[in-house]
Amino acid sequence: MRLIGNRIKGGIVIEFAAGPYLPKACRKPRLLARTAAVVSGTLLLSQLALADSYTVIPVTNGGTIQGTVKLAGPTPTIAPIVVTKNQDYCGESIPNPVYVVGKDGGVQNVEVYLKDITKGKALPTDPVAISLVNTHCMFKPRVQAATVGQQITISSEDPVLHNTHPQNAETNATIYNIALPYKGFSVTKPLPATPELIKVKCDAHEWMRAWIWEFDQPYFATTGDDGKFTIKDVPPGTYTLVAWQEAAGEKSVSVTVAAGKTVTADIQLQPK
Amino acid sequence: MATRIATVLPALVTLMLVAGNARAQEVGDATRGKVVYEQYCVLCHGEKGDGQGHFSQDTTPVPRDFRQGTYKWRTTPSGSLPTDADLERVLITGLYGTSMSSLRTTLNHQQRLDVVAYIKTFSPRFKTDKPEPAIVIPPEPAYTAESVKRGADVYDKFNCAQCHGDGAEGDGPSADDLTDDWGNPIVPYDLTEGHIKCGDGGPEIYRVFIGGLNGTPMPSFADSISPAEAWDLVHYIQSLSPTYPKNLTGAPNKPIDDFPP
Repeated sequence: MRLIGNRIKGGIVIEFAAGPYLPKACRKPRLLARTAAVVSGTLLLSQLALADSYTVIPVTNGGTIQGTVKLAGPTPTIAPIVVTKNQDYCGESIPNPVYVVGKDGGVQNVEVYLKDITKGKALPTDPVAISLVNTHCMFKPRVQAATVGQQITISSEDPVLHNTHPQNAETNATIYNIALPYKGFSVTKPLPATPELIKVKCDAHEWMRAWIWEFDQPYFATTGDDGKFTIKDVPPGTYTLVAWQEAAGEKSVSVTVAAGKTVTADIQLQPK
Repeated sequence: MATRIATVLPALVTLMLVAGNARAQEVGDATRGKVVYEQYCVLCHGEKGDGQGHFSQDTTPVPRDFRQGTYKWRTTPSGSLPTDADLERVLITGLYGTSMSSLRTTLNHQQRLDVVAYIKTFSPRFKTDKPEPAIVIPPEPAYTAESVKRGADVYDKFNCAQCHGDGAEGDGPSADDLTDDWGNPIVPYDLTEGHIKCGDGGPEIYRVFIGGLNGTPMPSFADSISPAEAWDLVHYIQSLSPTYPKNLTGAPNKPIDDFPP
């Protein structure tokens, strides 16, 4: 599995709701972001100054990349998840959502992104958190993406103990591990300060899995149930477009974007 | 008033920073630490710090892999790096029930700091990240029958039985399928045994609820449990074995590094 190579090398500007007593530019965003969340309960990432890896430029006449992700071959048959605990609530079995393929063959839960893009539109400055819900002993959504500086709201709709345990997908190193002990519990946490692919597990229900792509650039999309994706406001140029699926892995295609035009880039993934 | 605070606050912050720096200067020397490591640690933890030393196959649990910077026994919140003092404390106490023995009399304080500095070089995380501020542990109320009774309800409310079992013997419904960050099987603690690796006192047990145990399935309840609930839960766990020390008088929390001579 390949991860994003670039890492932000400092220069994240953080402003705190609690007051100006913490340094404005800091080289330890992860530490301070977490500290600030604890201290003030709110964290405003008002501006991201992205050094080295990504530069924000005005994009006035960008192009659009759209396409559909399909499988090159029949959808692999994957046995349902056999529920081995809390069957009274979770049920005896759960359909395995590794491959979700629509009626026209589009694959859901594929993350499509431009690799190694170095300049373009600004990252979303909206601090609204992404959401990960523990419901019916599964995570929802299974795959989603966020940008550096965003937060995540983790919640449970289940009357059983869950724990939301994000790990670096490459090393399995724990990012943190939060107990969701009862129905209705919700908490908002910062995402890691550096972009990475995050694998989320629930240790209490070992079949539960979710994936969060954290980017330091805004050109990405997660396919819906029709397998389609759209990436807008792309500066003209030739790029490597990558599609990632949790089981099929990655597929890269080259795509050339012209000013103000829409280019179609359908992708076929080799099922595994 | 506001002006006065504005004047005093920076001075206070400066003082705190100076005090912090003074402590931070007490650091080990990784070069000297390597010598200590190669004498006392390498046979289990390996030359690369990957936990794959010569004897690693013969230990249960397996030796810690130092390359991720993931440590269970910390004073810091879930996911955080440990402090140097956290790492030194493990060298002093050893870890009950494991092959990690106490090096308290084998190594002096400076040697321990040196080897801590060397162990940190195995993980790049220590170069880019810092331990988060320590978990705040409020004063422990007295251990009473009422507190134990309430604690039993807390044990139910927080579904501890999911892993630790109804009788807290480590045999809950999820107990058999747990793995750590390295993919090794890991079992929930049998809390009736009367010994907990990181210490049996109230504050030590309290800290585990709040910080969780990094790299393991034990999560942090920092965002869900109140201090009163956490202390009741501590007392309920301590009621499960006569071996646990109990704070019957509500005596002030012992400092974490206040080891008996």
